[in-house]
Amino acid sequence: MKKFAITVLSFWLIAVMLGRLFGLNPNSIDLNAILSTPSAAYWLGADDLGRSILARLLRGVEVSFVVATVVTVVTMTIGVLVGLIAGFYGGKIDQFLMKITDIFLAFPGILLAIAFAAVLGPGLVNLTIALSMTGWVSYARLTRGQTLALRYRQHVLAAESLGATVPRLIFRHILPLLASILVVEATYSLASVMIAEASLSFLGLGIQAPNASWGAMLRDGVRYMLVAPHYVLIVGLSLMSLILAINLGGDYLRDKLDVRTEK
Amino acid sequence: MTSIFKQISSFATVIFGVLLLTFLLIHLVPGDPVEVMLGESASTADRDMLRADLGLNQPVVTQFSRYLIKLAHGDFGQSIHTKTPIIEMLKTRYPATVKLALLSLLIGISIGIPLGIFAALKANHWQDIVVTLVSVRLSAMPAFWLGPMLMLIFAVWLGWLPVSGMESNTSIILPALTLGFGLSAILTRMTRTSLLEVLNDDYIRTARAKGLTEKTVILRHALRAALLPIITIVGLQMGSLLAGTVITETIFSWDGIGRLLVESIEKRDYPVTQACVLVVALSYVLVNFVTDVLYRMADPRVKFAG
Repeated sequence: MKKFAITVLSFWLIAVMLGRLFGLNPNSIDLNAILSTPSAAYWLGADDLGRSILARLLRGVEVSFVVATVVTVVTMTIGVLVGLIAGFYGGKIDQFLMKITDIFLAFPGILLAIAFAAVLGPGLVNLTIALSMTGWVSYARLTRGQTLALRYRQHVLAAESLGATVPRLIFRHILPLLASILVVEATYSLASVMIAEASLSFLGLGIQAPNASWGAMLRDGVRYMLVAPHYVLIVGLSLMSLILAINLGGDYLRDKLDVRTEK
Repeated sequence: MTSIFKQISSFATVIFGVLLLTFLLIHLVPGDPVEVMLGESASTADRDMLRADLGLNQPVVTQFSRYLIKLAHGDFGQSIHTKTPIIEMLKTRYPATVKLALLSLLIGISIGIPLGIFAALKANHWQDIVVTLVSVRLSAMPAFWLGPMLMLIFAVWLGWLPVSGMESNTSIILPALTLGFGLSAILTRMTRTSLLEVLNDDYIRTARAKGLTEKTVILRHALRAALLPIITIVGLQMGSLLAGTVITETIFSWDGIGRLLVESIEKRDYPVTQACVLVVALSYVLVNFVTDVLYRMADPRVKFAG
């Protein structure tokens, strides 16, 4: 399992670097190659505009990874801060903040991200904003629960009675204990943000043409499924390998770091 | 009984929050929403008319209360493009989505629960490992992956089912399978876990000691107790199914509320977008609430925590 995850992830990493090294152009058009099947010139065939599917897959995964990383960092920062404040102070502040997370959680799946992306308009930046606006909730919930449990641990109380300030208590005495659980959560959220990005791009709300995105490629693949089934199959299998690898990697990290989410 | 009121008041706050957030959506449009909707070439008179129509020239608080009052009368406003009242659109689209969601639920249950029982009975044998592995991994795969793959296999290669649309009676099968498979994967895992937990209980040992057959022990004694958490999951998943329909309906051109949402976004028909988001979110909240209440009523051990 661990081997599979490492193999697949390093395969994509090396492929992206080699693609960059050999200057594969995801946007160069070859009208003679439109929807062609894999050949020596186009290893994975060409898409509906005669662009190399391989080059577009590589650029797509790169963009997707960057978006996912940015969104994960932003959502984690916001979510952890909200969770720390709610868990540390408790009472009315906690109730208020948790009510807000309840409202965000009332929108199932990526519905809220779809709604935000719809009003903000398509594009890379707006996509990142839409995903960030909805993604912080799970971090806030997780951090709040853990902080509630840690707030009255003896080392925190000791530091408090020695006159430590609130920021010091939170960042020096509580946050470090949350590190491993947050690392694991971040791995899973990386996978789910990549899926969400692809879903929005699939719906035409994310990354816009001519930029490459796996979601948009999958949609084009569906459109040309009858004439060029290899297109959708190649994108589908690539997507499957990546999601499986990231999730397996997350499982491995969880076992390794021995994180217990239930207290 | 006070706790049930607490539950209802918390439910009401969430509903209010959902209404507020959906209402605020249109104010998140960068720049002037009226210009975005009508395009730059629209005349000033047209713009002013739409602005007045949407109430955008009034203070936000007035706008929100007007929005609530209209909603209470079943008035979702009208589509900017077709000028039809949105409620009429919802009346034809919503049932299509519910039909799809219910069939998916049926597929999910009829695959997931038997498979989960099978896995629990064969716990730690190779059959269990295979079933668990497949279900864990399948549930991680998004609908926009599963849909095209099923379409490729059953519609393009085998030619058994129509590719998309709603014309034929069999059109519903592929979208329902797409949603149902994901659900069945989750249910398989839940059934397995829940059944294995129960199988260690004292009363199961008693039932076995009485000399009952393994089949009776499982089906009459263990499954009954294990079913409760499964029902909760089914309820919770019903809401997610409603959201999952957005992508599945788009893939298979199924004219439900999810596709209406995507179409309205493409046309920048924000009032329709707003209405679709609201209806899906409210359905989700309502299903969750009902599941929660039923669960607490069914299991006397669960007390309202408030």
